[in-house]
Amino acid sequence: MNHDPFQWGRPSNETYGAYNHQIANAGVPDNTTHASLDAFPKMHTQQPIITGTSVIASKFNNGIIMAADNVGSYGSLLRFSNIERLIKVGSETVVGLSGDVSDMQQIERILDELETSEEVYDNDGGDYLRAANVHEYLSRVMYNRRSKMNPLWNSIIVGGFYRDRTPFLKYVDLVGVTYSSSTIATGFGSHLAIPLLRNLIPEDKDYVKVDEQQITKVVEDSMRVLFYRDARSGDKYSQVIIKLDEEGKVVFEFTKEVKVENQSWRFAKDIRGYGSSQQ
Amino acid sequence: MSDPFSINGGSAVAMVGKDCIAIASDLRLGNQSLGVSNNFEKIFGFGDKCFLGLTGLATDVLTLKETFRFKTNLYKLREERSIEPETLANLVSSTLYERRFGPYFVSPIVAGLGHKDNKPFICGFDSIGCIDFAKDFIVSGTASDQLYGMCESLYEPDLEPEQLFETISQALLNAVDRDALSGWGAVVYIVTKDKVVKRVLKTRQD
Amino acid sequence: MQTTVASEYSNEIHSVPIEHRFNPYSDNGGTVLGIAGEDFAVLAGDTRQVEGYSIQSRYEPKIFDVGDNIVMTANGFAADGVALIDKFRQQLKWYKFDNFGGKLEIKSAARYIQHLLYGKRFFPYYVSTLIAGLDEEGKGAVYSYDPVGSYEREQCRAGGAAASLIMPFLDNQVNFKNQFIPGTDGKEKKPLKYLTLEEVIELVRDAFSSATERHIYVGDGLEIKIVTKDGVRTEYYPLKRD
Repeated sequence: MNHDPFQWGRPSNETYGAYNHQIANAGVPDNTTHASLDAFPKMHTQQPIITGTSVIASKFNNGIIMAADNVGSYGSLLRFSNIERLIKVGSETVVGLSGDVSDMQQIERILDELETSEEVYDNDGGDYLRAANVHEYLSRVMYNRRSKMNPLWNSIIVGGFYRDRTPFLKYVDLVGVTYSSSTIATGFGSHLAIPLLRNLIPEDKDYVKVDEQQITKVVEDSMRVLFYRDARSGDKYSQVIIKLDEEGKVVFEFTKEVKVENQSWRFAKDIRGYGSSQQ
Repeated sequence: MSDPFSINGGSAVAMVGKDCIAIASDLRLGNQSLGVSNNFEKIFGFGDKCFLGLTGLATDVLTLKETFRFKTNLYKLREERSIEPETLANLVSSTLYERRFGPYFVSPIVAGLGHKDNKPFICGFDSIGCIDFAKDFIVSGTASDQLYGMCESLYEPDLEPEQLFETISQALLNAVDRDALSGWGAVVYIVTKDKVVKRVLKTRQD
Repeated sequence: MQTTVASEYSNEIHSVPIEHRFNPYSDNGGTVLGIAGEDFAVLAGDTRQVEGYSIQSRYEPKIFDVGDNIVMTANGFAADGVALIDKFRQQLKWYKFDNFGGKLEIKSAARYIQHLLYGKRFFPYYVSTLIAGLDEEGKGAVYSYDPVGSYEREQCRAGGAAASLIMPFLDNQVNFKNQFIPGTDGKEKKPLKYLTLEEVIELVRDAFSSATERHIYVGDGLEIKIVTKDGVRTEYYPLKRD
């Protein structure tokens, strides 16, 4: 076998004749050398490879909830089913990521570094790393990377608390756009889950009327709807609830391997060619 | 800027008042940024209380004006009466749809009073004949965004003819002044049950 | 010698690969407007933020009090807007350190913002920028910019998604364009006069409810920042949410 990477996957010249690059438009021609390639501009991340789909999140009366499934897709292939896309940062913040998984892991390392430098060493007067700080930091990272034309291909939701213990929820994406809202979802979630969440919380201020039980139910419904209709989603997801207990202390509840329950596929039997039945 | 709708420029607007309607257009004809004529009317009458405004590609404006003159004349010969605005609207719609896959590059508007009942009627179309029936006002042309802003804020229902004239004139004038491809004069028709008043407005000439 | 057989798709083959480049900009909608009065100035903006046809947030303020009795907005690509305003705020801080806490006049702020914008001439901030405040004589001032820093002081200016809808309305109602004294045969213009704050607020509310009616990127809420010699005040009015 010819181990030159420029020759990989080509029909052999002996059998089929010289390969015509003009016709197949098959990238670099035979006479390309590594030196001649240096003449090309440096390539940056121009498309995501392994991707995670939607993250959904919402505020409720005494905290926030966030959920994301565990699938890592390679195009339309379900490549990984054990990807954890919700990360705990500091003691009371969660970061949910969708988009490119390798960029997500880079962000994990960046956040790890942030936690090491800010949470441990510069801890003073009860003023520690909070969601707003994590979000501000991430938004600068994302905007700087996009300004270098080398983006981190993700949409990110940061959840936690403000200093005054009111819930914090904010978004940032690959071009550095940020916003806050009582209900946020990325990707397909913004089409399928947001209507369900806003049905419960019509206006931003209404999150105070919604309790943990109500919002958990709607998040459950949202994850089921996403599993039905988003082809890149999975039926196993992680869920984080950050809330205040009776004494006002922060409780961080990380639930892994939640299953999408109560599925109904009864409609399938009425559709020709959908189920296993032959008609 | 090879968009056929904005090569020649021009705008038109129509409004409904109390037992009256008004329809107005600018007078500019241009070739891209070059002004060519300051006397290119875009409002055409068919029968005595029925008007058609045509903006877009000037050659299509002229072609359609003649097409509708021909068609409405035949209609009058056959029916022995002038065409109603509703009927003209449907005629415009079907004429445009005949060219569904090679359209005339125009955005027509129709305004008029019913010949018997004097009921005000206005409507607008896209270039392939989809009718937009509106109760208040219709805009079209290269200053349509500006006209939407002006009409949405100045318009109120049930205006008397003189008030309607003032409203439509201010809407048109201020809109075309913010559009490089429209302006160079303006004309307004106020249609009431017993007369049609045509007024040519004094406008900025830049 | 060509030996490989051309596929039936050969007519689709391009001489250069199809370029799929990362687009560093997005359009986040929204519209803004500034009006200067005799001894006040206002900056107003809707509070909706969008991406495509999705409403990201119904309340994401974009008019900011940047200090020294100056309010600022940068509407268009939201990330650039935030970055520009942050940068100006930071520079204002440095100005104060260097000048014993002295006030930055609005005309100096205006010139400085030109340099911030032109500094990114070849990778522009994709925003329409407006600032408002009081000039050295205490008169209302509004400055407006294009994305690369060309600027002008004006009585009023609309920017953003519905600028084309609002601007002619402002010409007509603030600068009395195309308005003449009755009976003068269009020879005598309606004389200019300063509008009161109440009149200005009503104009702003009319402008935004009209723009909300006809533009999908405008709605949800209207936030107005009012600058007077006593400081900056904020008002909020709901807009249609459809």
